[in-house]
Amino acid sequence: MSNVTETVPGPAGPQGTTGGGNAVVGYLSGIRDVVVLEMKQRLRSRGWYIMLGIWFVVIAVVTWLTWAAWSASAGIQRSMPSSGMSMQSGPGSAIFEAVLVFVLLFALLVAPALSANAVNGDRAGGTLAILQVTLLTPGQILWGKFLAAWLAALAFLVTSIPFLVFGLVQGGLSPGHILVSLLMLGVEIAIVCGIGVGISALAGRPLFSIVVSYLTVAGLVVLSLIAFGLGMQLTQESVMVDEPGPSMAYIPPSASGGPQSIPCRPVQQTVFHTERVALVLAINPFVVVADAIPYPERDSANSMLGAGMLEGISQGTRQALAGPRLPFSPCVDGVYQPQNQQLQNQYQYLQQTTPVWPLGLSMQLVLAGLLMWLGWRALRTPANRLARGTRIA
Amino acid sequence: MSITESSNLPGSVALGVSAVGVSRRFGTVHAVEHIDFHAPAGKVTALIGPNGAGKTTLLLMLASLLRPDSGTIRIDGLDPLRDSAAVRLRIGWMPDTLGVWESLTAREILVQMARFYRLPNAGIGQRVDELLELVRLDALAGQPARVLSRGQQQRLSLARALIHDPSVLLLDEPASGLDPGSRVELRNLLRRLAGAGKAVVVSSHVLSELDEIADGAVFVNQGRTVKQQTLEEAARQGRRYAITALDNQALAAKLSELNLEYRVEAGLHPSVTLLLTHDDGAAALLRDLVTAGIEVVSFAPAAGALEETYMNLETERR
Repeated sequence: MSNVTETVPGPAGPQGTTGGGNAVVGYLSGIRDVVVLEMKQRLRSRGWYIMLGIWFVVIAVVTWLTWAAWSASAGIQRSMPSSGMSMQSGPGSAIFEAVLVFVLLFALLVAPALSANAVNGDRAGGTLAILQVTLLTPGQILWGKFLAAWLAALAFLVTSIPFLVFGLVQGGLSPGHILVSLLMLGVEIAIVCGIGVGISALAGRPLFSIVVSYLTVAGLVVLSLIAFGLGMQLTQESVMVDEPGPSMAYIPPSASGGPQSIPCRPVQQTVFHTERVALVLAINPFVVVADAIPYPERDSANSMLGAGMLEGISQGTRQALAGPRLPFSPCVDGVYQPQNQQLQNQYQYLQQTTPVWPLGLSMQLVLAGLLMWLGWRALRTPANRLARGTRIA
Repeated sequence: MSITESSNLPGSVALGVSAVGVSRRFGTVHAVEHIDFHAPAGKVTALIGPNGAGKTTLLLMLASLLRPDSGTIRIDGLDPLRDSAAVRLRIGWMPDTLGVWESLTAREILVQMARFYRLPNAGIGQRVDELLELVRLDALAGQPARVLSRGQQQRLSLARALIHDPSVLLLDEPASGLDPGSRVELRNLLRRLAGAGKAVVVSSHVLSELDEIADGAVFVNQGRTVKQQTLEEAARQGRRYAITALDNQALAAKLSELNLEYRVEAGLHPSVTLLLTHDDGAAALLRDLVTAGIEVVSFAPAAGALEETYMNLETERR
């Protein structure tokens, strides 16, 4: 190589092409250059600011509505002291959860728009080949575009922080709560951006890749629920379950005072083996976020009454994944359980401690990673195959 | 090592661009079929052909963006498939689609490109200033590329291709959209770059322009190399001259008398054209016509030398 460079009028060699550490630095600085290029363009487009403004207003309205709704119901409860129910934890949990769910929903809607034309939009504008003909590698281009899309989407998350903090301040939640939530939202946005950028490198036209990205996100959110619901029907099985019997007729307490006298006998019952299909639930972004948030320990004394929507999602999924191993029957191993033991069993069942989110997150990462890898393959030059109907430049 | 087998001795490396037997298909379309193409260093080589002849595809392959199905490409003796980084440092490519980042300023675009080529940070500012001055965009350096006219964007695109001082320039239709003044500048610039030892490849339709800048030309059509000739060869093959006179009938009669094969051209200004092989013949004919009392109004080459070849090829094809 040196021979050639000496005889050729040309530039000085590139920096940082030799040595292991230098190569890494060179690779990263290439990514940074792409991010700078992308961010300059994004920050100068008015659409992004308009979207950000709309986002801010919508989240503000949602927060206000949730707060107003809570205030109204709290007022009614105060006017009826006979109800005996005390407000569990103030509005904090409700507002926080409502805002969190909305932020996630809108993030899932915004992220594909910010990412799914990153590569083929450039291809259509003729600027992708300009990058490809430089010393940038396909990986640097793809990572740069992914990071830029992610940063642009994270700005939306940052905008919603005031409202999440508002929910926090209203009470009942720890800062750890909000940190974990923000972290998981950021990760989910990254996954959607990865999916979008990957698809945009694969598809010929921006419109097509944006639609496909939206459908993929919709698939994660909605299709996973539908698939679970339908798949559950296929898992029906008849099993023999111990039930109190022969009839549920009232039997007066025995002399010893316990209800042990109720005999248990096996009864044919239909159960759903949800654990066989619960995996599709785990890939749902809402499930992943809800499940990753730490909730307080629940036992019979500290019941599920105070649990919010997200905790419900988390527990529901964990139960589905656990399957019908502990059916709600007063009978265990043919023996009728005393009342307090029954409750304890129920809470044990509800308090599923095996987290689902690492599983769901891994599945999402595999999906996003696969799409990014396929996108990387499509960006390699000299190109072998081109997407149908596209020119490289 | 990146040196090819043929280059045991320094300097024996064929500098410039060479493509041998290069083919590329898109589905069932044979965009390029077994093209041979050579563009030596220090020369401007024109790539000429009708629309859809495979010019852009060939340039994309030379620019290391597209992999040929078969055939070999060497850029300064290097294989783009194996030493793509080394090859890319040597190539300056200007696409036919402008492809500018519209919201960036002219200066920012060039700075970004310099960074993508990993030029040393310290020199980037000065290099960018030089190039902006070279393409006369220094006054517009702070303007977003969006507001630049097509010709200005074209010049910016040229500056972008030159940012890393490449030894091979691949320019796809560089003159399209340029005003006459800019064309002259482009011509001078390309001659200067070739004079500095770079291999310059220019694809264009504006053939008369290429006469002025190209040292040689490669004619392609339907994905094949149709003809490869230097401009001297093109000039030697004879050119068609157009002659008009006050009395065209008298002119035609005289030409018939001289036993010359001519063609009466239909057009706004009726003229007679004929093929003359060399300049001496042209001078002799003009003298004969004038002394014979024909009132010649104009006597000039009807087309440039390359256009002549191009049109001949077109007629041969029919």
